[in-house]
Parts: sequence; structure tokens; C-alpha cells
Amino acid sequence: MKSIDKKDVLAALKTWATKYHVLCPVNKTNGDCIFDCLGEDKVTLDYGKPSLAPKSALFPQSEIIFEVKDDQYHEVISSQNTILFGIRACDMMGILQSSSFMARDNSDVYYRAKADVTIKVVMACKGPQNETCFCTTTDSGPFATDGFDLQFFDMGERFLVEIGSKKGKELVSGDLFIDVKDEEVKEGIAAFKEKAAQSIPRVNEIEKVAGMMKNGAIDDEKWEEFGKKCIACGGCVFVCPTCTCFNVYDLAMGDSGVRIRGWDTCLYGGFTREASMHNPRPTQGLRLKRRYEHKLKDYNEKDLLGGLFTCVGCGRCSDVCPVGIGILDVAKAIIEDYK
Amino acid sequence: MAGLAATFGSGAMTNSIPDFDEAKLFFVIGSNTTAQHPLIGSRIIKAVQKGARLILADPRQIQLAPFAAIHLRHNIGTDVALLNGIMNVIISEGLYDKGFVEERTEGFGALRSVVEKYTPKVVEAISGIDAGQIEEAARMYATTKKAMIVYAMGITQHATGTDNVKSCANLAMLTGHVGKPSTGVNPLRGQNNVQGACDMGALPNVFSGYQKVTDANVREKFEDAWGVDLDDKVGMTMIDMMEAAQKGELKALYVMGENPMMSDPDTTHVEIALSNLDFLVVQDIFLSETARMADVVLPAASFAEKDGTYTNTERRVQLSKKAINPLGSARADWEIICEVSRLAGYPMNYACQSEIMHEINMLTPSYGGITYTRLEERPGLQWPCPDEEHPGTPYLHKDKFAKGLGTFMPCEFKPLIEVPDDEYDLLLTTGRIYHHYHTGTMTRRISILEREAPKPFIEINPLDAKRIGIRQNDLIEVTSRRGSIKAMAEVTPRVPPKVVFGTFHFHEASINLLTNPVYDPVAKIPEYKGCAVKIRRCA
Repeated sequence: MKSIDKKDVLAALKTWATKYHVLCPVNKTNGDCIFDCLGEDKVTLDYGKPSLAPKSALFPQSEIIFEVKDDQYHEVISSQNTILFGIRACDMMGILQSSSFMARDNSDVYYRAKADVTIKVVMACKGPQNETCFCTTTDSGPFATDGFDLQFFDMGERFLVEIGSKKGKELVSGDLFIDVKDEEVKEGIAAFKEKAAQSIPRVNEIEKVAGMMKNGAIDDEKWEEFGKKCIACGGCVFVCPTCTCFNVYDLAMGDSGVRIRGWDTCLYGGFTREASMHNPRPTQGLRLKRRYEHKLKDYNEKDLLGGLFTCVGCGRCSDVCPVGIGILDVAKAIIEDYK
Repeated sequence: MAGLAATFGSGAMTNSIPDFDEAKLFFVIGSNTTAQHPLIGSRIIKAVQKGARLILADPRQIQLAPFAAIHLRHNIGTDVALLNGIMNVIISEGLYDKGFVEERTEGFGALRSVVEKYTPKVVEAISGIDAGQIEEAARMYATTKKAMIVYAMGITQHATGTDNVKSCANLAMLTGHVGKPSTGVNPLRGQNNVQGACDMGALPNVFSGYQKVTDANVREKFEDAWGVDLDDKVGMTMIDMMEAAQKGELKALYVMGENPMMSDPDTTHVEIALSNLDFLVVQDIFLSETARMADVVLPAASFAEKDGTYTNTERRVQLSKKAINPLGSARADWEIICEVSRLAGYPMNYACQSEIMHEINMLTPSYGGITYTRLEERPGLQWPCPDEEHPGTPYLHKDKFAKGLGTFMPCEFKPLIEVPDDEYDLLLTTGRIYHHYHTGTMTRRISILEREAPKPFIEINPLDAKRIGIRQNDLIEVTSRRGSIKAMAEVTPRVPPKVVFGTFHFHEASINLLTNPVYDPVAKIPEYKGCAVKIRRCA
């Protein structure tokens, strides 16, 4: 275990930035906070739940994967040594699950190249970051138990730093980090964890709805009720730590061109529409059903890595949905209806 | 906008987007809100879930329809009759706001004498809406305090567009549903900065802030600022220009960010007009159908390549910062204009955009306090904002109308110019869909949007489809007196019988080859919402 004074964290980030691309919580105009490049003054340690999951570090919103130039073509696999600082435990679980999913069958080389060189520094949550946090329901927080290189615990004036890997250990070898004996802080950490876990209320509806899905107990009509409200913006998918669907398309510019892959979503009709124009998921209600089934029912056990579902309880879909059909709202509405 | 300027004195959305959250009733007429303004549409859905009621007047079964307490699927082009019918009920049942009408408005007598002819039974015959539903809608709107009227192109894109708008304004004044939070007449503008373009005087009759070119005092102010003599005559509308070009009276045209080869009605005649010019300049971010015809194309920077402001539908001026430098030889529009002006012998010496804004502040009363410094600190400012202490204006006409008293401007119902007959037996109405924007110059280059909506389609009611022998996804030919296109049939009850719907997004089946080039006499907006067509299945 190590510790660092809060006032020294920015200096540590700057030291790391000499060797790594550092992504950390940064305050933007109009009150948004996102994971962004280490800048001069907008880095913050006083942040809740950044509005976007940090998945774009490993799975960019769009990336060139293939290039055609001078009658030659070549694959483009981009990566750079990166430190993801200050991610939440739910996001750590999202990365663990996505990494497992992306490694199955044929390993996704573009994802893997970035995942291999990205160091994860988790900021354990003291409590819920807002009213939609429910990681205790999905066994994915409020602190990480696996996958991190370092984990920070906020103890007031200082952070205690748990080391999770060799890479993590190297990062905290500098003067800013002070050695502490595990036994001295053991009780403090345990108290932190217990208090944090107790302060995030369990959402029983999530588990109940997952059970109902497994039993096929939810009528399609119910999903159509949600579907008729959905404006198909895709916001829930783009903020989700475990949504990794993409589309691949070519951009031609004269004799040269690039192949790009970019985020996609199963909530768009064209995602499942076939060449004949037949669509096996013909309505927005059924597309929503499919997405929630993927979060709470249809997943490979191997990808769970300690979590209960492939929903990691971050609540961001409920934060962003403009018509109130994020996972918490949907689960509560279903339970209300089937009482 | 002309209709609102005449009745209220200001041609803009009276209220603000957050007002939707607190409203108790929406009267949405001629707006497919979830498709065209989805974040406003979603506020309507959320408010309805919380107990607000929705009166929807739209011939199509749009996404908002299942949320409506009353859905009036009136015949296309009968908006004035429908609105008059609603006002008839409100007056005859004494549901109007007498205090508001007496203190804040003029011309009530004239309104009463026009709308008294439009009894629910009379309107039922014109609009196809059951008289009882008209009465119900009238009572619901009149007796709900926080009631917002929301409209878009379904109201304006008619030869009677100005009459339609005036009728909406009449209804709001009659019930006193204006000048208060969560009320008003709320035109949702179709483009992110069309409000800003109008505000800046990109209209033939006004300088910035709707200051009339015919007003000598106004002209003098601008002449002093710019050091030139200014024309006191109202200029030409786009429609006038096309006619003049066709006649050979207009020799040169400079088009910025507009694609009339797809967006104007009766494309065949637009092409003749543009070909007849001696000189055509097009400034755009892509080589549009119109730009292909130009003698000179000036490549403009996209939104991501320039700094500046946009003024959105709720009159909010917002700062936008560039993300990358312009690619290739593209330059920001203002830089291109300055350079053209310099070469033409009038140097414009602005070092940056904020200097232009400073000039706007000096010359435009409603933008007086909207400076870059203030915009940096907050998510925009809503005009009118006359000075730097002013917080901006969330809703207009609070204690008095911009023009003093609001004026009732009663309108008589006038039918569509071209109605179906034996040969052209269906009514074509046009619009937009969720995934594409206008003539597709931008959105059709986005892979995922193109995947979502790849092909031109025509919505047709199952009854008509069956009669003609058309099945889902059949290729059909749609013909009007002006032209013909081929598109895929989407057989759906979303459109009522005898009505077909198409969009102007697809160059391969450009719907404006079909539309009728007839215009509102005041606003000069074309009747995109209704013309007669016939349909056959392609073999």
C-alpha cells in the first residue's frame, strides 16, 4: 500500500504524462466532466460519475482500421501507452467484461492493441455518485476487486493507493508516493469499503426483472410501450461501459481511402435489417427488448468476471435517456406493472 | 415569421424549450416533433407522462400520436378552417379570456365576425374532423392555463402559410395563452441557425434585428456605420430571383449554403432559371447539386472548422468553437465574404468574429448585450438582450406585445391550389425524416444515417396500395403535372387514404420535381405540403 497527499496528485499525473498519454477527469464548460487529456487547470479530483464511460480509450467512437494509398493497402492498428486515471469501479468492470468479450473467438486486434498498453487507475467510490448508481446490485462496485493496476481510496487529506499489478507498482515508485504498512490502514480501508457499499441502495427490481426475462415473463406489449417513447438517439448505448457494437464503412477520396469502424447500436433499425428489407427486430419495442436482454439475460458467463450481469450498474443510461427508459426506469416500470 | 410579426410584432418562438417541461397542454399542429426536433419531442412525451395533455393536429400517424388526448387528422390544407372552428367554439361558449382580449389586443370584432361562420359543422365538412372533436379540443385548449401551441413546416409550407400562422396567433391571444411561462406560439425552426440568419437580416426587407430597409432612420444608422449609401427598396425573395433569372432579368446569383436544385419546388424550372444566369457562385461545404452548376464554387468551412455563434429556435445565441482547422482550401464564411468584399472594392477589416459581434451589438438593439465575453461564461443568451446587464428573455410579450397591442388578423379558409382530380387522384405531402436533413448534402454522406434510410420511399395507405396493386417495397412511379420520380412504396396506415408522403432528401428521386410552385403571397414560401399526383407500379 502507498499513500499520496491530495495536493500532490496533479504533480504525479504530470510526471506520468512524460511517459504516458494520461486521460483523467476534466471539467468542461457548462458543468460536464469527462475523461480527457491531462490539461493545465481543468483536471479535477472533485467529480462524480463522468457522463461518458471511458470505453473510447480502448474502443474509439471512430477509428481508421485500414488504409488505401498509392495502390497499396495496409491495416492500421493504433495504440499508445495510456493511463486511465480515476475511473470508477463500474467502469473497471465494464473494461474487464468488454476485454473478455472482445477476446473471444477471434481476438479483436484493434481493441487488444489498446487494452494491452492501457493502465487502469480506479478511484473507489465513497458512496453513490448520483441517484442512479446501483453497482451494489450488479456486484461491480463501489470499489474494484480485480483488473486495476492501482486503486485510490479517498481518506480526506490523502489517498491510500492499492497496488494491483507490476505496472501499477512502477507508477507509484516515485517520491510523491509514501509507503504505508498494510496493517496500519487495513481497518481504515475495510471501514471505507463497508460504508461505501452500504450507502449505495440495492435495486431489487433489476434482479427481479432479470429473473422475469429468463422465464420469458415480460410480454412484448410492455416493450412496445417503452418503444413508442424511444426516439432512437442511441444515447444509452454510447454511454454504456459494455456496449461495443460497431459498424464498418469505407470513405473513398479519389484514389485513396480509408476503412473506418465506428460505434453502432442495436436500437437502430438498420442494425438488424436484412438485404431483403426484412427486419427480424421490426419495432423499436423489440429492439429495446433485445438490448436489455443482452444486459440482463443473454451473455456468456465467461465474460462476467465477478459481475452479476453485463450491466455494471453505472446508471448512465437512466441519466441520459431523454424519455425516461433507461435500465432503472424500465425495470421499475415492469415490476410496477406486474405486481 | 411574417404572420407572427404582423400579429405580435416579433417573428420568433415566444417561449423557451425548458417551458415544455412545465406545460399542461400542447397543441401541436404541423410538427413531427420527435422526428425533427427530437429533444423537444421527448420533452412533450415526458410532460404527457407527468399528466400534461396533447392535442395533435396532423394528417399522419406520427410518433406523438399515441400520446395525444385528441388526434385531429384533418384534411391537408385545412388548418385555417380547423383553427377558426376551434375559435368559434371558444367564443360561442364564452371560454375566451375577456380581460386579456380587452387590455392587450385589438381587432376582436373582426375576428368574431369571421370565425362565427366556422361552426363545428361547417368545419367538419371542410376538414373531415368530427364536430364533437373540434369542440372537445377547443374546450381543452381554452381551459388549460399553461397551454403551448407548437408548429413547424406543416403550418408554414402552404400558399396560405401566413394565414395559418396568423390563425395560431389569433387562437393564443383569444385565450390569453401568450406572454406567460409555458404558453405562447412556438414555431420550431427547421435549421440550427435559420433564426440567426433571419435575425441578421438575411431577408429582402430588413437589416439585422428586423430593422426595415424602408425606414429612413434605420438606413441612416447603417449608412453611418458602414460609410456607404444604402438602397431603400425591398429586395427580391428567392422565388422572385428564380422568376427573374428565367426571364433573363437577373444575371448573377451568389448562393450560400442553400441547394435550390433540390429544395425549391418544380426543379425542372429551377434548373432552367439557374442555367439562364450569366454567372452563378455557390459557397457551400460540399459540391451540392446546385454547386455543380456554378461558374465559381467557394469552399466553405464546416461547423467544426470555425468559431462563431448560432441562434437556435428559442432565440438563444450560443458560442461554437472550432475543433480543427479548415481542411483543403476551405475558409470560414465570414472570411470568404470579407475577401470577396475587399476585391470588390469595399475592404472589411475584421480581425476576428468577436469584432463582427461587436458591430452587431452596436447596430442591433435586440442583440445589444450579447457579447462574446458574456457568451463564454454561460450556455447562451436569449434575445431580446438590449444591454450587457440584461439576462436575456426566456419568453416574449410579457406585459405588452412587441408591437404594443396584439392584433387579431382573422383569415378566411382557402383550399389548396392544386387539389386531386380524376387523373391526378392522390395528394402528395412532403417533409423530412429522422435520419436525414434537408437535401441530404451532409447526412447522406454519413454511413450510419445512410444505412438507416438508404432509399427514397413514398408512404401510401394500404387501401390505396391495394386499389392500385402495390405491395410493400414495390418500385412505384409518382407523377405530377410537373414531373415524375421513381421510389419504393412504404405501405402504411401512417398516412390517411388518398394521401401519399415523400421527402426531399434523395437526389435520385427528388420530390421537388413534383411539387407545385405556388407561394404564400407574403412570406413567399412554397406549397410543399400539398399537390396532386398519380401513382403506378413499375413493371
